[in-house]
Amino acid sequence: MTIFEELIYRNAERQSRKHFIKQCSLGLGGLAMAAMTGCSPFSSPGGNRDAITGRDPFAPKPPHFAPKAKRVIYLHMAGAPSQLELFDYKPELHKLHGQDAPPSLMEGKEFAFIRGIPKMMGPQARFEPRGESGIMVSDLLPHFSTIVDDVSIIKSMHTDEFNHAPAQLLTLTGHTQLGHPSMGSWITYGLGSENDNLPGFMVLLSGGQMPSAGKSAWSSGFIPSIYQGVQCRTDGGDPVLYASNPDGVDRQLRRRAVDAINEINRKEFSETGDPEILTRISQYEMAYRMQASVPEVMDISGEPDYIHEMYGTEPGKTSFANNCLLARRLAEKDVRFIQLFDWGWDSHGTDESTAIDAGFREKCRHVDQPMTALVKDLKQRGMLEETLVVWGGEFGRTPMQENRDGQDMPYLGRDHHTEAYTIWMAGGGIKGGFTYGETDEIGFAGIKDRVHVHDLQATILHQMGLDHERLTHFHQGRDFRLTDVHGEVVKGILA
Amino acid sequence: MKSSPSSIKIVSIITGVLLVAVVYLLFTPQERFFGFHETEVDFSRDIKPIINDNCIVCHGGVKQMSGFSLLFPEEAYSPNESGKRAIVPGNPEESEMIRLLRHHDPEVRMPLEEEPLSDEEISLLERWIEQGAEWGEHWAYIPPEPVDPPETNSEWASSGIDHFILQGLQDRGLEPSPEADRTTLLRRVSFDLTGLPPTMEELEEFLQDDSPGAYERAVDRLLGSPAYGEHWASMWMDLARYADSKGYEKDAGRNIWQYRDWLIRAFNEDKPFNQFTVEQLAGDLLPDPSDDQIIATAFHRNTMNNDEGGTNDEEFRVAAVMDRVRTTWNVWQATTMECAQCHNHTYDPIRMEDYYRSYAYFNNTADADVPSDDPNLKSFRREADLEGLERIREWVESRTEGEEEASRQASEYVDLVRLSEPKLHGHYFDDLERGTITSTNSYLAVEDGGHARIRDVDLTGSDRMMLRFRSGRDSGLVEVRTGSPQGDVIGRWQVSAQQGWRIASIPIEPQERLHDLYLTFHDPGRDGYVATIMWILFYEELPGEERPEFAEVRQEFDRLLNATEEVVETPVMVELEGNFRRSTHVFERGNWMVHGEEVTPGVPAALNEMPEDLPENRLGLARWLVSEENPLTARVIVNRLWTRMFGIGIVETVSDFGSNGSLPSHPELLDWLALQFMNEHDWSLKQQLRQIVMSSVYRQSSKTSPELLELDPNNRLLARGPRIRLEAEQIRDQALRVSGLLSEKMYGSSVMPEQPEGLWQQVYSGMRWVTSEGEDRYRRALYTFWRRTNPYPSLVMFDAPSREVCVSLRINTNTPLQALVTLNDPVYLEAAQHLAERMRNVDTESVEAQIGAGYRMAMLREADAVRLTLLEELYDDTRLYFEENREAAEALTGSEDTELATLTVVANAIMNLDEFLTKS
Repeated sequence: MTIFEELIYRNAERQSRKHFIKQCSLGLGGLAMAAMTGCSPFSSPGGNRDAITGRDPFAPKPPHFAPKAKRVIYLHMAGAPSQLELFDYKPELHKLHGQDAPPSLMEGKEFAFIRGIPKMMGPQARFEPRGESGIMVSDLLPHFSTIVDDVSIIKSMHTDEFNHAPAQLLTLTGHTQLGHPSMGSWITYGLGSENDNLPGFMVLLSGGQMPSAGKSAWSSGFIPSIYQGVQCRTDGGDPVLYASNPDGVDRQLRRRAVDAINEINRKEFSETGDPEILTRISQYEMAYRMQASVPEVMDISGEPDYIHEMYGTEPGKTSFANNCLLARRLAEKDVRFIQLFDWGWDSHGTDESTAIDAGFREKCRHVDQPMTALVKDLKQRGMLEETLVVWGGEFGRTPMQENRDGQDMPYLGRDHHTEAYTIWMAGGGIKGGFTYGETDEIGFAGIKDRVHVHDLQATILHQMGLDHERLTHFHQGRDFRLTDVHGEVVKGILA
Repeated sequence: MKSSPSSIKIVSIITGVLLVAVVYLLFTPQERFFGFHETEVDFSRDIKPIINDNCIVCHGGVKQMSGFSLLFPEEAYSPNESGKRAIVPGNPEESEMIRLLRHHDPEVRMPLEEEPLSDEEISLLERWIEQGAEWGEHWAYIPPEPVDPPETNSEWASSGIDHFILQGLQDRGLEPSPEADRTTLLRRVSFDLTGLPPTMEELEEFLQDDSPGAYERAVDRLLGSPAYGEHWASMWMDLARYADSKGYEKDAGRNIWQYRDWLIRAFNEDKPFNQFTVEQLAGDLLPDPSDDQIIATAFHRNTMNNDEGGTNDEEFRVAAVMDRVRTTWNVWQATTMECAQCHNHTYDPIRMEDYYRSYAYFNNTADADVPSDDPNLKSFRREADLEGLERIREWVESRTEGEEEASRQASEYVDLVRLSEPKLHGHYFDDLERGTITSTNSYLAVEDGGHARIRDVDLTGSDRMMLRFRSGRDSGLVEVRTGSPQGDVIGRWQVSAQQGWRIASIPIEPQERLHDLYLTFHDPGRDGYVATIMWILFYEELPGEERPEFAEVRQEFDRLLNATEEVVETPVMVELEGNFRRSTHVFERGNWMVHGEEVTPGVPAALNEMPEDLPENRLGLARWLVSEENPLTARVIVNRLWTRMFGIGIVETVSDFGSNGSLPSHPELLDWLALQFMNEHDWSLKQQLRQIVMSSVYRQSSKTSPELLELDPNNRLLARGPRIRLEAEQIRDQALRVSGLLSEKMYGSSVMPEQPEGLWQQVYSGMRWVTSEGEDRYRRALYTFWRRTNPYPSLVMFDAPSREVCVSLRINTNTPLQALVTLNDPVYLEAAQHLAERMRNVDTESVEAQIGAGYRMAMLREADAVRLTLLEELYDDTRLYFEENREAAEALTGSEDTELATLTVVANAIMNLDEFLTKS
């Protein structure tokens, strides 16, 4: 028997029934005490987390090099917001408004909905220089304009896919095909988690529609499913599926039942010797802890008024604003990767809600204040330096007005566009008050410092202390990584 | 009283690290199973692993740095760019490879910028070259050789399997474990063969039968049970990526459950695996295929279909074909063919061209990523419809010369009604004027004065055009013209107002050979589309036009084309013919838009030759796969069965038998089983499974010792029986069975058992989860509606895949979310309450008896005193709680009965025990 095995056995012995019953089962009053004193080594507050089994897949792991950020908050605007109305200021495009797009622009290009010759469409917003850095931001983002000195704006993003689902997959999993691990899965796989009571990778949706890529956007693909994102629901149901006890079962009774289950499982272990049983015991403890910690962290009602005003939150609702505040709360609990999805950014102009001059403005109004508050709030708590905030969509939008199926559209809209779009990043060792990359005069394509989605992924991993070429998983005969066989860290934006 | 947690933590971390190190040292596969120090160096065993680990990335299928590649021998022996030869057989001193591996200058030494190879590895390479640098073939490509089981001196061994395993154990000084107790054994084999635990009655019967052959009879009963087919169908559904939705963004529903039912029947009938294979890959190409054989081809219609607006249908048709290539090679050959999509395979002797030759087999089916999922086989159910179909068959048959020809012609017309192929889809049209291919659905929609072209239509023998359309008006006219929008009019169609889709049919003037056809649309003075057309199709009028009854038959024909009531449609494979066939090209760098040289169907040279008498299509490929010369098919399926039984395969990488996969732990056993499967069992899966579960190896107890655990943590040597967490489906089915809720209803469209509200917030989709009623709430898990982007949550949490792509092996996890499912999911609570009621029915007085009964119903064995005491104490404390909180009892069960609530909590605890969730 190795020391290791002996330890397991001794522990199992120590937890023998008599001992357990004497120490813990003092009727109901004793139950709570059992939980609090951590009578079992598996239920100690703060979690002894599996030291006993040595098999915890979430145990913190060393990075490849010193990290700048400890966690990521990724704000994905599903549908792909127009960069031309927000960040990429193109006065030249204004002058071309209403003119036919030159055939040379369209040649050899494929668009999702544009057919034939569309018309150019000027920016539908006013731009002004903001902050000390004087970065141009449109008047659709008045709040964000106040924090430009804390962010880097990348204007030369480009991608390979012009349909939502594959483009979202490419952005978040590095591949257009399904079945690959998402960024959050890779990062928790590479670094583990620093929280014993919450999943390491959590996902929040603003309500409305799911992102087009569905759950694949936070899937663990071919790495163990324990690393997949845990979707937290904010619509009144369980924040994590099945986290609530059944009606009539309170926390004490649940504790009592889990103790009985675990005690019998320990007996089972002493009989069979299967270490998987020890893992199960600790997972039941983790489940029990999550039942308390998840609702607690998800309950924003206790936040002070000034915070609610700052974010524009309304407790009890499902909204991007609430999710931004939740993101901060999860960040405080050291959740490693926090993924938010907003929806409705697909501004084709087929109806009012998708019109650049109507629905799109509404979307901006909804996200501007909370995303700004998130950055400010992290900063005032001294957390921005170690928290990397990323904001963006899966591609950009055309400088041409959409003419779906060659027909005139009732509202102003822009089609999907892969050649150029804008994202911004803040905190986590990224420069503030900085813009990176340039597009041509009409914002059609990047002409300087182009950044591909794989480069963005490499950069995010880099800030977390991970080398995107070394973070690999062996699958179907070869090593796979988030950045496929591409990706370069965008050194220019690093502080 | 106890040592401090932190010191335990530190000690255990250190010992954990030590243990990992020890295990690692003990268990590199080559060492463990073959030993390194044999004199004859073997390429596959000794050399290929070194090459794959250190060299192949730069000198293989992807890159050939310095003009040197180690993938094929002819390349390896040739001079490289420097003019020197890396490998000179018989002469290590002259071999550049050895010189560079030993080079003192780190800037020159191979592998560049990596750790140098160990002395042992280099000397192995030297000895190999010295011995002539023989290029051994990879084990998996050499057909299995007949081998007799070793003779072992033991009464324990009762079958060939046992002799092979026992020898492996004895070689390492190990002994097998004793046989598991009978209850454990029956529970294990019941789960393995049927996916369900035995009922109490089945157990009783088994325990009371102490005559010889009792176990064997139980095995035969299980193999004959309908539940057997359900269980193995669900295994195959992971490989077939079966789902009830199409995947991608919209993930709309798909009707393909008839394929699932086909699978259940095929397993229950024990359809031989070779036939099972041929029908799924090419049932449509068999002579005069039955409906079942056509439905079997839905196997490859489980590919995803992209209905997202603005997507290119050809791009996603190509993606589906690629998925068929990958899946076929994975399922039957455990070969990662997809690695050769963009370049030669990195590790295995598969050239990029081979990938596209495989692709060519699948590139000529009629499916085209259209929203309808066409081609669909319509299965009529109504008596009138079936009679109508029969009438058409008879009508054609009696008017066609020659018996065979009459039958063929009749089948063609029946197929025209049931499949309506080959269609010309909306997105095949081009040269549009005042028209569009709708970006959301790829329909053709044209305004007044506009036109659309479809090129190179072979009209030989056609005198009618069918079209599926909808239109808001009766005033339009569509003309069919040849050559140009002003060309000769060969057909006219008066548009009729039609809200939903309808199939119309018009006469056209017969033409010879190929034509560019134009549809011209007319409706002067009215804006908007004249009509929207989903597809058109050319065919020949039914025979017998001169007969008075003809009009009636034609009417019946048209009626059936548009019949929808009680018609079940299933997507199937239909092979394109003649002018409709596509040529296949290599895609440069795997990019589907950049075509390279044209290729014909074929298989990689490293495998058995394609016999010349086989057709150059899917049927030929299927027959090649199940020919006895194929070195992989039998090994791969036998290994899959083995993996299901023992939790780990003889080849651990069930989906990769290539040189980068793991080596077989018992290579001779694998070959022996493969040959038995083909020759003795005639491809019978039941016989093969029977052989495995009858072995002494399988019947061993799963109890383990720390020593054994340390020596063989994954149980590859099989010195003990399997102990594995049940699969997602088994966990649900077991809970329903022990609580008495499980419905035994088989077949039919998928059901929607209870799930939390609000999970289906899909984009642009009207699909809703409507909880099934009655017994459909309690069906076996395999009947659960499987939506790819949002599969049933409690199944997913226990590692069921989304079924977007073929999955060979589920990763077995152990997570807190699983605990939350079995503790709190209302489905499991309902099961617990029903178990509680059953417990109480056993004995209304004695709590001890009730708890004992509950444990027995769940675990099928008696609880020992410790377990019983612990459960009784849980009962007592819970009872106290509910006595003090009566409203809580009611909240839990809906009844004021505190006893019931208490028993429910206890039953829920029982159903959360590790032993309940585990097959042991």
